[in-house]
Amino acid sequence: MEAKIVEPKAPTTSSLFLDFWKTFSSNRVAVVGLVMLIVIILVAIFAEQLARYDITTSADITSKDIYQPPSEEHWFGTDDAGKDVYSNFVFGARVSLTVGFFAAFISIFVGGLMGIVAGFYGGRVENFLMRLTDIMLVIPDLPLLIVIVAMTRPSLMNIIFVIGLLGWTTTSRIVRSQTLAVKSRKFVLRARAIGAGNMHIIRHHILPLVLPLLVVNAILVISLAILNESTLAFLGLSDPTRLSWGQMLNFAFGRGAMSAGAWWALVVPGLGIVWVVLALTLLGHGLEQVLNPRLEFHHLMPGRPVVQREAGNVHSFAEEIHPVLLEVQDLSIHYVTEDQPPARAVENVSFTLHEGELLGLVGESGCGKTTLMLGLLRLLPAAGQIVGGQVDFMGKDITAMSEQELLDVRWNGISIIFQGAMNALNPVRTVGDQIKEAIVKHVALLPGDKVDERVVELLDLVGIAADHKDHYPHQYSGGMRQRAMIAMALACNPQVVIADEPTTALDVMIQAQILELLDELRKKLGLSIIFVTHDLGVVAEMCDSVLVMYGGVMAEYSDVDTIYNSAQHPYTQELLKAFPDLSKPEKRLASIPGYPPRLDNLPTGCRFAPRCPRAIERCHTEVPDLHILDKNHVASCHLVEA
Amino acid sequence: MTQEFFLEVQNLKKYFVAGNPSLFSRVVKHVHAVDDVSLELERGEVIALVGESGCGKSTLALTLMGLEKSTDGKIIFEGIDITHADDKAQKLLRQRIQMVFQDPYESLNPTQTIEEIVGEPLVVHKIGVTADERRARVVQALEDAGLKPADIYMRRYPHELSGGQRQRVVIAGALVLEPHLLLADEPVSMLDVSIRAEILNLLADLRISRQISIIFITHDLGTVGYFADRVAVMYLGRIVEIGKMRDVLENPQHPYTRALLSVIPVPNPRLRRERVILQGETPNPIDLPRGCRFHPRCPIATEECQLTDPPYIEISPKHQAACLKTQKVS
Repeated sequence: MEAKIVEPKAPTTSSLFLDFWKTFSSNRVAVVGLVMLIVIILVAIFAEQLARYDITTSADITSKDIYQPPSEEHWFGTDDAGKDVYSNFVFGARVSLTVGFFAAFISIFVGGLMGIVAGFYGGRVENFLMRLTDIMLVIPDLPLLIVIVAMTRPSLMNIIFVIGLLGWTTTSRIVRSQTLAVKSRKFVLRARAIGAGNMHIIRHHILPLVLPLLVVNAILVISLAILNESTLAFLGLSDPTRLSWGQMLNFAFGRGAMSAGAWWALVVPGLGIVWVVLALTLLGHGLEQVLNPRLEFHHLMPGRPVVQREAGNVHSFAEEIHPVLLEVQDLSIHYVTEDQPPARAVENVSFTLHEGELLGLVGESGCGKTTLMLGLLRLLPAAGQIVGGQVDFMGKDITAMSEQELLDVRWNGISIIFQGAMNALNPVRTVGDQIKEAIVKHVALLPGDKVDERVVELLDLVGIAADHKDHYPHQYSGGMRQRAMIAMALACNPQVVIADEPTTALDVMIQAQILELLDELRKKLGLSIIFVTHDLGVVAEMCDSVLVMYGGVMAEYSDVDTIYNSAQHPYTQELLKAFPDLSKPEKRLASIPGYPPRLDNLPTGCRFAPRCPRAIERCHTEVPDLHILDKNHVASCHLVEA
Repeated sequence: MTQEFFLEVQNLKKYFVAGNPSLFSRVVKHVHAVDDVSLELERGEVIALVGESGCGKSTLALTLMGLEKSTDGKIIFEGIDITHADDKAQKLLRQRIQMVFQDPYESLNPTQTIEEIVGEPLVVHKIGVTADERRARVVQALEDAGLKPADIYMRRYPHELSGGQRQRVVIAGALVLEPHLLLADEPVSMLDVSIRAEILNLLADLRISRQISIIFITHDLGTVGYFADRVAVMYLGRIVEIGKMRDVLENPQHPYTRALLSVIPVPNPRLRRERVILQGETPNPIDLPRGCRFHPRCPIATEECQLTDPPYIEISPKHQAACLKTQKVS
């Protein structure tokens, strides 16, 4: 039974390569580049078969044949020696590509090695290697290239080596910084802890993560090498026995192609160079997107509210003294992607928030709680769509608002304290400055000194001394940063503050401080707070009501006392049991076997059924309704019916 | 009579040089990450090391592992002084002492399969001659860590697993060498509550089935009550209170321990109680306060505390606290 639960759904066939190919092939730019490259490589390989004339002999050539325009016999015309340009082009591809690939190989090898060694060992080794790189970078490449090639015999071998040995600098810098980043990651420490030596760590941990970057870089280095070769050849510095595109250009240019009007002798090799460089650039650009998917997505595109469904089972905690501020009814949010079924991240969630109320929103990671909160303000990522329900904030439906109206609600009406305060603050601006920005953006026409006053007032409110205003986030401790985030959220006197896991990464003592602060602010300013957390224990001491979410749906929603003392949904009950209770430490901790469902692959019946200790057959086939147990107690479970 | 302990730490110190000494000043400042810590551990015992971030608990663990060189003091493991073990000895030690890291998302190499990750220690230590032999041990370790049946996980990559499963992989990677001592550095703090209990139970089971001693490092006293035999509370590089779990929970003597106990969330609104919330955060360990290092945040500090660095006072057998206000149980 347990094995069945734990067993992940997807078969084990997926491999990194297949994944890679799937993403790669969907990137049109990269595919075009790859095809272009393959074509020219095939041309170079099958030069003998493709060429229509033997370019090594001058037999059968008469003076009539010089600079003949393109014709049946000579597709691309003839050159200054009366030879077929097309055949020259085909053989030239071979030389140009050979030089490009081998020189790039040398550059990548040298640069990669130096970068990894410098980054990994650090200290003096790094200093020496990086200063060497800097010096090489400062010397202008081309003149040096010309001088060296001119001094040595310009054979193909020499040219490859010279270009290769001058082209490694950028690679070494990029690889070094990537190595530094990888080196500081925890799995390298773990490898050390198991007793692995340096060689092992470099081979198994550093190299695989540096490699993608190296590949992208290699492609750019190849095109650079081909360009360098062409330049050298154009200047007459090349192996006279091996015809390359650059050399074709050189001959044509130096032997009167321009004055003879023989454009084909110049254009054809030129196009060859452009073709290869373009192919490599496209491929490199595409690969970069594939290997670094973060470049692809854009955040915070406005979500599109879609058709409304008629309001379902509305419920509200009647007879409340405080007026209702926010009322969410049957809100559903899906993540829609092109070729996959939609991920039903939030379905039919309803709750009510009164003035001054503190609502705890509890659920495991991936249960849709953050999506729900972003949905309230329509700050969902592009794929996220509100597909049903409504969000009434002070009588107006947020899902139907225009962008302009939304701007007015965001921050002025409802603000968010984000999770992970370090990432949410801009590291290069002072904290005071960032709070100021939040004020100025939303409260127009406030004179400058009033704004400063307000910043100090806000900082004071969250317990930060005024002189910390001009400090940068890194000078703040974790707890202070979280306080600064709270100050920012309060900047425009919102009625509702959403606190998204504000204490999760903090120590227990700091966590207690932040909780105390939020509770204090609520009383002082009459705020309503939605406190999002995965930890039931955290909210017990200050919440008025609790909404427990599981797998995108409401499991149970009630006032705090009912949730903690007479919970009806098995999930709530199990969560409470999983909580360590120090008064009975001998008891074994209860745990919930299995893992939360994936939102794109939900069970057919109740979403909790596969993990539920009390599940009956019906639970696996039929989705439970939301049952109203009491005037302020809702649970979605078949068992409460009886 | 001297009793030989499984692990004995004597007056261990680990100082880091703080920043680069400036050109004009000769004064080198130190971060007192671990400052005179002594600790004994018996075979099969579980001790919890509790404290806020910056109290030096992770540095202590890394020093015990030999990943940081100690500044002063002694570490004796299974009767052998390992304080200055050379590289070869260190490598052997790694088979005996293993570590589980905090962040299961960061501590697994994304380009390796689960089989490679768990089998890596065997390759490093050249254990298991044939691939089949190694494979068998990997399967055993995975299943011991609760990933059953192991086959379906072996060829997967970390990103295909959930947080709880990843942490099990990390544990399997530590178990595969059959260590005698496991250092668990906040193994559950990044996990959801429902998954947390499973990992804690797993560690408790391993301790019984494999007779492993565990040093469990955490900032949350609440999670350790279940399976630790003893607790050591650390503050600014020093152990301020140590004793049997029961003794410390029921009769905490150091005001810092009491504060930590009071802020453990209780999942019941009917049990709301008075909490001691310490203001401010752990001061920086470069310029330690004079006298008792806790006095600037201590709710019961007196003038005496600013002058005297308190010695350990024995409250009951094996229960000690470094506080001048400690009351002895007669």
